[in-house]
Amino acid sequence: MEKELGKFLDLKIDAKSALPVYEQVKRTIKLRILSGHLNEGDQLISIRELSQKLKINPNTILKAYYQLEVEGFIVSRPGSGYFVKIDYRKTQKEKKEIFEELTNEYAFQALELGYSVDEMLNEICKICRKQFSSINSGEQENA
Amino acid sequence: MLEIRDLSFGYGKHSVFENFNLCIPEGEVCLITGINGVGKSTLLRLIAGVLKPGAGDVIFPETMQKEPKRKIGFISDRLSLYESLSVSQAIDFHKNVYHLSRFDDSLIRHTKIADSQKIKELSLGQRTIFHLSLILSIEPEILLIDEVIHSIDAYLRKIFLEQLIRMISQRNITVILVNLNFQDIEHLVERVILLKSGKIAVDEKIDSLKAKVKKVISTRRPSGLTVLSQNDYSDHSEFYIYPFREEFAENIEGEIVDLDLTEIVSAFIGGEYA
Repeated sequence: MEKELGKFLDLKIDAKSALPVYEQVKRTIKLRILSGHLNEGDQLISIRELSQKLKINPNTILKAYYQLEVEGFIVSRPGSGYFVKIDYRKTQKEKKEIFEELTNEYAFQALELGYSVDEMLNEICKICRKQFSSINSGEQENA
Repeated sequence: MLEIRDLSFGYGKHSVFENFNLCIPEGEVCLITGINGVGKSTLLRLIAGVLKPGAGDVIFPETMQKEPKRKIGFISDRLSLYESLSVSQAIDFHKNVYHLSRFDDSLIRHTKIADSQKIKELSLGQRTIFHLSLILSIEPEILLIDEVIHSIDAYLRKIFLEQLIRMISQRNITVILVNLNFQDIEHLVERVILLKSGKIAVDEKIDSLKAKVKKVISTRRPSGLTVLSQNDYSDHSEFYIYPFREEFAENIEGEIVDLDLTEIVSAFIGGEYA
């Protein structure tokens, strides 16, 4: 049940973004699939419910779902709704694209602030070591 | 398709529309905006049949040909609504007029309206919700909404919008909105039409409109671009640009900012008052 609630917790629409709303919906759902919040066979919230919830035109949600279906991230079963479909090769590729995008954004901003590539790498290593060690110790505590 | 063909209309000698043309496909949610007095509400009233055009036609989709007016829902704060009847009397009257066998009052139940209350005693928000439930009961194919959401409190507004979305998703209803609170309906609108002196000045799908209207924050006016309107501050100005294209970006000095619908509309309208 807890997992069910977590599925769409972050679906926020940025009204100022020039990125079309259907694209924003699509991205959020894709990200949820790639990050494992939505798993193979999970049912997506219905178009009508999602449009009620976010006050978005149902046709916009339909467009997002349709494109996700065409791209092979979800399947529609007539009469019952939309379900997550995981294609391992595709998800790896999409993940890589998002990773590159994030890295690009980070690098751009860090360079603008005047940091060198070495400094960036150092900082990333430092942060990861810190984060990983806390995650690891957390796991140990749970074990 | 709802088609307005070569329509002309005026109040006395004052002409509002002359040879006005507009097509709205079935199922589209369309926002009509423009400065006060440009004829937005007049246009809705012409579509609703409350006003008769001086010339030209309003042509309804084939599915509505038989009795088009019965399939149009018109929500406006100017409509008088059986003022002296009680809520239950008004519902009975409405059922008679439209030959309805039943009436879904679930929406009214939400709003603390009592059956015995007189229509004229209802608040504007309650009246709007009551009116909406009357309209829902006739299962309209075209819904015209004339800036009524402003006067409704946040809770009733939420109910109103949810009902609207339900109608859009269940029955592919065509919706024409006039100047509603843009934040509320921002993501419902598929097309924006700006009227100017009786003509359509802008007619864009929402996604393309958002791509084409930008704000440039700069110390100098961007050259070679059309500025709709501007805000001046002590050390910089904000310029609203339309139409903007991606390739302009590299020649613009300053920051380029994306806009929401409220700011886009006020940029256009501000330009007309300037």
